[in-house]
Amino acid sequence: MTAAAVMPPIPIKRYTGLMDWLTTVDHKKIGLMYFWFTVTMGIVGGFFAGAIRVQLATPGAVIESIQAAHLAGVELPFNLFSENKDLFNQMVTMHASVMIFFTIIPGFIAFANYIVPLMVGARDMAFPKMNAFGFWLLIPAALLMMSSFFVQGGAASSGWTAYPPLSLAGAGHNPGQDMWIMGVHLAGVSSILAAINFIVTIASLKAPEMKWRDLPLFVWATFFVSIIQLTATPVLAAAVTMILLDRNFGTTFTIASDGGDPVLYQHIFWFYSHPAVYIMILPGFGAISHIFAAFSRKRVFGYASMVFAVGSITLLGFVVWAHHMFSVGMSPGLAYYFQVASLLIGVPTGIKVFNWLATMWGGSIRFTAAMMFACGFICLFVLGGFGGLILALVAVDFTLTDTYFVVGHFHMVLVGGSVMLLFAMTYYWWPKMTGHMLSEKLGKWVFWLMFIGVFVTFFAMHLSGANGMARRVPVYYSDFTFSNYLTTFGYFLTIVSSLLFYLDLFLSYRRPKVTVDDPWKINDIQQSFEWATSCPPPAYNFVTVPPIPVLNQMSDGHGADGKPDEGKPLDSKSTH
Amino acid sequence: MLRLLSLVCLMVLAIWKVPALGAADPVKPVVAPVSVVDPVDRDVELFNPNVYSLDETGHGPKYVTRSPFTDPASDIARQVTSVTWFSSLVFMPFLVLPLLLLLYVIFKFRDQGDGRKPATFTGNHTLEIVWTVIPCVALVVVSIPTWFVLDHMEAPPVKQKDRMAVRVVGKQFAWDYQYLGMYKDPKAEQKQAIAVGQFLGIQEPLVLAKGRTVELHMTSDDVNHAWWIPPFGVKKDCIKGRDTYAWFTPDTIGFFKGQCAELCGDGHGIMIITAAVVEKPDFERWVALQRVKDDTLKVWTAIQPPPGTAIDEKALRDAVAGFLAKGRSPERQSALRYWIACNYSTLQRVPPPKGITIAEIFGAAKGGGAAEIAAAISTRRAKVDVLLKELAAVAGTSADAGTDAARDSLTSVVAGAQP
Repeated sequence: MTAAAVMPPIPIKRYTGLMDWLTTVDHKKIGLMYFWFTVTMGIVGGFFAGAIRVQLATPGAVIESIQAAHLAGVELPFNLFSENKDLFNQMVTMHASVMIFFTIIPGFIAFANYIVPLMVGARDMAFPKMNAFGFWLLIPAALLMMSSFFVQGGAASSGWTAYPPLSLAGAGHNPGQDMWIMGVHLAGVSSILAAINFIVTIASLKAPEMKWRDLPLFVWATFFVSIIQLTATPVLAAAVTMILLDRNFGTTFTIASDGGDPVLYQHIFWFYSHPAVYIMILPGFGAISHIFAAFSRKRVFGYASMVFAVGSITLLGFVVWAHHMFSVGMSPGLAYYFQVASLLIGVPTGIKVFNWLATMWGGSIRFTAAMMFACGFICLFVLGGFGGLILALVAVDFTLTDTYFVVGHFHMVLVGGSVMLLFAMTYYWWPKMTGHMLSEKLGKWVFWLMFIGVFVTFFAMHLSGANGMARRVPVYYSDFTFSNYLTTFGYFLTIVSSLLFYLDLFLSYRRPKVTVDDPWKINDIQQSFEWATSCPPPAYNFVTVPPIPVLNQMSDGHGADGKPDEGKPLDSKSTH
Repeated sequence: MLRLLSLVCLMVLAIWKVPALGAADPVKPVVAPVSVVDPVDRDVELFNPNVYSLDETGHGPKYVTRSPFTDPASDIARQVTSVTWFSSLVFMPFLVLPLLLLLYVIFKFRDQGDGRKPATFTGNHTLEIVWTVIPCVALVVVSIPTWFVLDHMEAPPVKQKDRMAVRVVGKQFAWDYQYLGMYKDPKAEQKQAIAVGQFLGIQEPLVLAKGRTVELHMTSDDVNHAWWIPPFGVKKDCIKGRDTYAWFTPDTIGFFKGQCAELCGDGHGIMIITAAVVEKPDFERWVALQRVKDDTLKVWTAIQPPPGTAIDEKALRDAVAGFLAKGRSPERQSALRYWIACNYSTLQRVPPPKGITIAEIFGAAKGGGAAEIAAAISTRRAKVDVLLKELAAVAGTSADAGTDAARDSLTSVVAGAQP
């Protein structure tokens, strides 16, 4: 103790400008870097999707004409991928990998990083350096995957699911698959580090006297998602490691002829990847509750059942994985169990949807861009969820699995759900994060183009699939020509919308600074710490707990006297 | 904003125009127009339809477009379809109600600037219970019929008396089928299996009998594939080292198309599956035709000498006599004629060797047109027909037809075929 007292203070070099961003451990700056990383990768993934859509709108040949040409001894070219047919599969693989590992998962981490410490009244994350490390791991992970296009054999082409034996093919000659696995490893480590950090931050850095039942729903959602990330991501690492070892070190985990089992890989892979779909939407579920409440000028309806719903989705998410692989041939009893468990997830999800509607009920709704995205989210998510209910039925799934119906379903809930949520969250929190407003006028254009685009794109995909178009194909029977044109038309609407949004992000920095703490004028009702500090918040956020009332979330909104609950501030102690 | 709209319109236009510019000219396949009068030609069209069904513009074999949900073509598919519509109806309120409520809320509770105070309630236990319990009830309602359909699909069809089994092997990027239990004697099975193969869906289709249950035992030679023809309502992965299983009873005559449904490499998109469903008597005839396929090879070799050499009349006569020596029933004679017709069709389909035109293979003059090729073919077939008549008449009997393997019971399925 005394030794420490006499030691001279360690000089801390404070950088400015670029070096500041490269060395920062401030959760707000890291959150912003996560954000810019994800929008950039989103554009990259969007262009991969564009390559797929242009191919499918203009395949150059349908299956019938390919057959006819083959009868005549002619090889008909595929439009974009004639020289390298494998490139189409590389596009499919990389579109999925970029969107999942580098856009949607880190997209929610970006907001959680920025907002969660503010919401719980903490000065920073529990482990600031680990937080920075987690972000900087994503850069090499993305570089590994992207640069694999330029190695021999091109990028990984066995789909983002990397099912063996296809992902074992050409071992030693196509390092792209190995680079993909390494990229997944790095992204996974980043994910796990972030999860540990959130759990510890939420559990131990809450403002003094703040109870679990006082936590905003976004914090609850982040907490549950972190549990999923912490427990499921190592399993993904195990699965892809089996592939890596089988490819390079002579093991036979997945090689049937040597005693392995390719289906084993599928089980382990989906044990991560089904919970992963909740990693990709639950934080948004939490955030959207605040947005509905804020712009309806009401408090969140059914706080306790919302937390309960997210918790039960977290639990159920772990026990339904095999509904992705009914067609491998499992015993009907087992398949039926997975069907019922999958349907059961619809119940808490339905609870959330009804509670959101009840939150808006009786409110005074302002249709800002954020609110429009939130309403659009409900519409598209319910549509996507309906397809999910049908897909969960094993008997029907035999017909629909691996068709464009599945592609339409998961894009409807991922783009119509997660991406719409990310847009809503950006419009809502951007003034807090940067101190600049996004354009509401442009925001409405972004919303309508995105909403119509997403609906057209993915509804047309449902149609293709229900009529019998397989997924991951570069050509199709002539029956599907029209629905594929329609899908690509919708795609162009969404990409125009995304580019407008990207433009607006840059333009926003030229607009005047927000001078108030609470630009949406919601904190008289919302009572959330992040709106009780400046935009953007100062370094280390709060010195003492902000003196705003904290409401009793478990009440029906009224005190014992029947008057609206005003809440009371926590003691103004110094924050952690 | 107007500019933005026009930009979108331009993109749309580009999408619609590009296929017209980019698509290669439809290749007109060299297929001789054959008038379908001979019953043998009718059989070729029935069992191997892709040969004759190219349309005028060369746009490939014609298929009936079928969606699995609007045109089910098997008993399983019908059950799946009805359970799909049933479940959709039960789930429909959970799609429609939130959307209607959302619309109502949007229009009813929008801020109209009249200073109205928003409500202050934050929860209601009764409501929470209602929207937890009602979906659970719907879940139970849907789960009951889906269990029976699933159990029916996955259990072996022991109640179906009339059934057969087919082994399906997927490989990059083709399919092999072997009909199991076609002979009482397992040795005969090894000697001449009833088997067909598909590449790009233009070789022989999987021929199935209407009303006869077919059990598919699937596996793979290399990576994972999935066997799927949408209107039959079944799909199973083909996995190396595993046997997967599905069954259905086709109930609609026609040609059906499908494709591999599990990413299997760069040819995944063109790993096509075709099936022809025919009446039971037609199916029996097809099996009988398959059985004599190997016997007809010598005749085919004699009638189709290497390009540039003439037909050796004596060798042809000997070959036909040799074929008849094994049995001279009318069925056997028409089988020979069928396979010759079929082989000609196949010959026309495969690309000719380098430096030789299709016309040369058929002995027509260089640059000979389709009519000339057709004439060459019918001349040769007439030669075989004459020989058949002459040689069969010499023996003057078809009494030994009954000894042929064609009389083996087709309905017996080897017990070993069961999983």
